[in-house]
Amino acid sequence: MSPNSKQPELKTLAAEGLWNNNPIFKQVLGICSTLAVTNLVLNTMVMCVALVFTLSFSAATVSVLRNYTPRNIRMMVETLIIAFYVIIVDVILKAYWPQMSGQLGPYVGLIITNCIIMGRCEACSNTSPVGKAFLDGLFNALGYSFILLIIATVRELLGMGTFLGYAAPYFSSQYFDKWIIMVMPPGAFFMLAIVTWIFRTIQSKNEEPGQ
Amino acid sequence: MIREKRLYSVFYMFFVTAFFSSIVIGFARFTDEKVQANKQLAFEKAVLSVLPNLWAPDASNLELHQKFMEKVNLPGPHSGNAYTLKENGKLIAYALPIEGQGFWSPIKGIISIESDEKTIIGIAFYEQNETPGLGAQILTSDFRDQFKGKIISVIDKPMRIKPAGEILRKNEVHAVTGATQTSTRLEKIINDAVTKWQIEMGIRK
Repeated sequence: MSPNSKQPELKTLAAEGLWNNNPIFKQVLGICSTLAVTNLVLNTMVMCVALVFTLSFSAATVSVLRNYTPRNIRMMVETLIIAFYVIIVDVILKAYWPQMSGQLGPYVGLIITNCIIMGRCEACSNTSPVGKAFLDGLFNALGYSFILLIIATVRELLGMGTFLGYAAPYFSSQYFDKWIIMVMPPGAFFMLAIVTWIFRTIQSKNEEPGQ
Repeated sequence: MIREKRLYSVFYMFFVTAFFSSIVIGFARFTDEKVQANKQLAFEKAVLSVLPNLWAPDASNLELHQKFMEKVNLPGPHSGNAYTLKENGKLIAYALPIEGQGFWSPIKGIISIESDEKTIIGIAFYEQNETPGLGAQILTSDFRDQFKGKIISVIDKPMRIKPAGEILRKNEVHAVTGATQTSTRLEKIINDAVTKWQIEMGIRK
């Protein structure tokens, strides 16, 4: 792509990260955290913000160093950079939002092992200029986030009858029998499968025949 | 190319690691005081919340800290290593720290007992990592309020956590449905601490 086609590139990156190549329902990466933190919408939001921050800045940093990093140790360097940003997020939460830090427990630290980040570093940041790497990371993280929020909303609503901790009409009333299983681990598997199914069906309908 | 030289890789990794590590260490140092203060405050809030007439939901952190320093007496051998609350020199309540392994990680909390040494006033947790929506429901007032007014046993296990639906005696509460592991472990955590306290206080042989 020529350096002049900035606008189209932005669009392509957005379409790839959010839809065509969505990390959750297309690449099926980062499933561990998808299953683990989606039982409450608020926890999920914080997790998503943490991932957006970590992924975009890790991607940019890997890209900055790409011309100096020897190929044979590049994954060590990438892991180091990712860990660096994750620890920053973890420390910020511990210092300024201890309650949330307590609720997310080990999952913040586990962002380090989120395959989406390593995947983007390997697939894009390694070979792309900083701006593109940053945007690629950003849109992939947003693609991850919106799927997680959908899953979390359904799980919290059906499982606990609340949204963001506030009682939802009907779902929190006595007429609705709460589906406890939705906030338990199996609920996450069901929702992830259903969401993947729905989005892939829509996606395959929009594709050109014969593709 | 220099990038392919082995020694270059070693030095490169060394410098990159040193660079990022020093930033992280600096940052952690910078926030360490705040992190420790948060932990202490969480503990003090838990203590205040289980003692009678001390809890003010809209008080600032500073006010709560001052209240803790002013009203709560530090543990000693005479109180079986529990924090105490006194009024005009007369003991009103004990606040006993409890601590032990939960399902995922340690659970730490406070249980408060009246001056009769057997009636529970309340229970609160200030550190836990149980499953959100399940084990973590021990934090809800629905679960914790069950303990109010329960009488701890001096012969049997001090407290029991029974499955939901079962008929309760005066030292029993209902567990969180779907969180058997958390409940079993919490029962042990409470009983270990309370039994030890009862022995130190001379009310259990």
